[in-house]
Amino acid sequence: MASAIKKNEGFGAAQLILALSIGILVVVVAVPVLLIFLNAFWADGKFNVQDVLRVLSEPDTYQALMNSLIIAVGTTIGSTVVGTFFAWLVTRTDLPYKRFMKGMFLVPFMLPSFIGALAWKMLLSPRAGYINRFFMDTFGFEEPLFNIYSFTGIILVEIMYLFPFVFIQVCGALERMDPTLEESARISGAGLFTITRKITIPLVMPSILSGALLIMLYSMAHFGTVAVLGIENGIFNIPTLIYERIHQSAGSFASIRTGTVLASVLVFSAALILWLQNKILGKGRYQIIAGKSFRPMELKLRGLRYPLLAFCLAYIGFTIVLPTVVIFLVGGLTTYGLPFTAEHLSLNNYKFILFDYQVTRDAIVNSVTLGLAAALITMSAGVMISYVIVKMRVRGKGILEFLGMLPFSVPGSVIALGVILAWSGKLGINLYNTVWIILVAYIARYMAFSIKANSAALEQVHDSLVEAARACGASMGQALRDIVLPLVRPGMFAAFFLIFLPALRELTVSIMLYSPTTRTIGVAIYTLNEDGETVMSAALAGIALILIVSGQLFINRLTRKKAGR
Amino acid sequence: MRTISGILLLSLCMFMGAASPALSAEKLIVYTSMKESLIGKLKAQFEKKYPDISMDYQSAGAGKLMAKIAAERQSGTVLADVLWTSEVPDFYNLKKEGVLEPYTSSEIGNVLNPFKDFDGSFTAARLGTLGIGYNKKFIKETPKAWSDLTTKPFKGAFGIANPSLSGTSYMSVALLAEKFGWEFFEALRKNGAKIGKGSGQVIDDTASGELVASLAVDYIINDKIKKGAPMALAYPPEMLVVPSPVAIIKNTPNLGAAKKFVDFLLSKEAQTIIAGEGTLPVRTDVEIPAAFNMPTPAEAMKRAIPIDYQSLMEKKEANVKRFNDIMQGK
Repeated sequence: MASAIKKNEGFGAAQLILALSIGILVVVVAVPVLLIFLNAFWADGKFNVQDVLRVLSEPDTYQALMNSLIIAVGTTIGSTVVGTFFAWLVTRTDLPYKRFMKGMFLVPFMLPSFIGALAWKMLLSPRAGYINRFFMDTFGFEEPLFNIYSFTGIILVEIMYLFPFVFIQVCGALERMDPTLEESARISGAGLFTITRKITIPLVMPSILSGALLIMLYSMAHFGTVAVLGIENGIFNIPTLIYERIHQSAGSFASIRTGTVLASVLVFSAALILWLQNKILGKGRYQIIAGKSFRPMELKLRGLRYPLLAFCLAYIGFTIVLPTVVIFLVGGLTTYGLPFTAEHLSLNNYKFILFDYQVTRDAIVNSVTLGLAAALITMSAGVMISYVIVKMRVRGKGILEFLGMLPFSVPGSVIALGVILAWSGKLGINLYNTVWIILVAYIARYMAFSIKANSAALEQVHDSLVEAARACGASMGQALRDIVLPLVRPGMFAAFFLIFLPALRELTVSIMLYSPTTRTIGVAIYTLNEDGETVMSAALAGIALILIVSGQLFINRLTRKKAGR
Repeated sequence: MRTISGILLLSLCMFMGAASPALSAEKLIVYTSMKESLIGKLKAQFEKKYPDISMDYQSAGAGKLMAKIAAERQSGTVLADVLWTSEVPDFYNLKKEGVLEPYTSSEIGNVLNPFKDFDGSFTAARLGTLGIGYNKKFIKETPKAWSDLTTKPFKGAFGIANPSLSGTSYMSVALLAEKFGWEFFEALRKNGAKIGKGSGQVIDDTASGELVASLAVDYIINDKIKKGAPMALAYPPEMLVVPSPVAIIKNTPNLGAAKKFVDFLLSKEAQTIIAGEGTLPVRTDVEIPAAFNMPTPAEAMKRAIPIDYQSLMEKKEANVKRFNDIMQGK
């Protein structure tokens, strides 16, 4: 097909699309990242590793690195255990209401973890948290039950909202796994324990590991939870330290320097994690067989069926329902610290936030428009770039493949820092303090999602379809419009919402880039909480939850309709 | 396809709409450490009075605002037209660096002036006071002296906002250290006092019971008391009175609007709003609602711990470090 392009549209068109695609990725992603490396490793006009090591060995920096590592490792291990266990429970046992439970375990995906952190702060802050208070008041506990402002607290909250990464992967693997492998082992006389150890676990191991690595990647570069629960007790990780440094020391050279060095560490760790993941997935690819027609044997839970169901329900209630309820209740309070009684609860805060409070109104408008614009632009660029990567054979495509991989490995706080370096006037264009700089950062951040979704859709469109159209006399443009575009539209749709919904609740990037009039929903929730406007912050978080959940339901309906057709 | 293009078109329109501000009106951007409850009302009144001026404000801790201004100065343009915080040393610094546009308001004759070396670079627009804000559920007796904070009822649960984030907090720490020596903070530390985040958060923590008391800014706690929070504000005899100066940033393209704002802020109507929010006005002809139980501006100035701005400015870094070291037990 590539030769067809060359012959008929001329050498120019293919090259042009390639150049354009490379251009977009270079400007949006590569330049900011390069500037970070340059800033970190290039001091006084020469390559300088000593200085980098000096920054890394400063007590604060070193501590932040260690904290990031502790939190990431703890979260990864915890989420892997929780995710694998629940995945096994809903796929391989006769747990009642399995389908429903599976859906419920995916709900935490929708909840932004910093809103979760906010809720847990209200529930478990040492002296005032509602749960701690309850135990201290009712049972006369001298000490609070649990202090959420701790490593354990941060890790537990992150586990609650990140375990679905492993859950989804493992569920998929367990469902796709060929049951005959297990059956033959059973026929040969192996017991359940042996089968699990020798057949099942090795088969799903790649999925478990790749889910775990995703969590590690995410948790290391995660801002919200640590910012809400850690900073108060002096627990910093890399993104929160970057944020504090840049905000407190006036964006001075030294603080930007520290920021870029820390960001480089994040990029390298992310690259390492992704490399590991590729290796693991590459090895595991042949072992999982995509047989869907057999039902795998189910473990009979017998007497444990209902206790385990109760456990799952309690888990959901404790990690999803309870925090959500608290957010909405606190959001309804006249002022924080009052009891939840009818006289103190009203919808006034919600009304104030939606109609009268300029900060939050701006924030909602900003987030929705930024989300739509970023989703739109990123989706379109993603289609073009994926088309080049998947379908075209032109020289120089390798560069594009590399650049296309880059956004996967660049964490949000790094993008924000890079965008500040690239777009605050040093290269001639100054977008700092405008809504555009956040848009550019969003595009860079979400390009990976778009390329992934669109590539997957394009890979399913066989070249022969286009060739057939061309053979019947259609022009290249016609073939694209009438054959390719309709076929990849679901992928484009998916990409659009994969970007729009996360952008709606984005915090890590926008917290570094906001200005008076360009607060996003995430920033507004965070700063209101920081300013001691706890009830307003909770009310806005409640509204954000409603927006996100209804958006998600809308997508579910759309995709179900698509699947039905 | 129609759905997609519909969404695309819609988002494009909305984005354009959001990105291009109204061009017709005069603009004014105020950076202030005043919280929403105060600045929001002032903005509404100001825009009612001057419908042609569209005012925006950034409300954040003084430390953050200064960081922002410093970053903006590096990049060439300061976004703010007017700065109004409670960190007086910042204003002296900015004046020295030539960043402030001198302007003597026509209202100057009607206001109290706490600055001996007043030259129009900045003008006090409010007299902020700080006292002991306490949760009535846990503290039954009204605290009478600063030294009460080192006693048992306050053990482990007295909070001071982080002085590197909050201007009022820094001023208070410096003044208390001046008056009672650093031993006072060592004694506080021994009694388990904590550094909180911003000046708003320590008060919400007091309301919730996370802290039993905190060093509280008047209008922030009074706003929450008005809404029913179980708290009260007590002033020991040696009062902390921190003026909040307002200043115009040099080279602002909106000089006219900025001057109008400063005049407005010192006018009787704005000062009445300020008094109505539970903080002290700079005008003596403004009534303070009796419910707040606050001293008059003149009395507050008499009871106030005197402030040597020059030394506060020079010693800021050292003071903050000393405070943090003591409070973190280093």
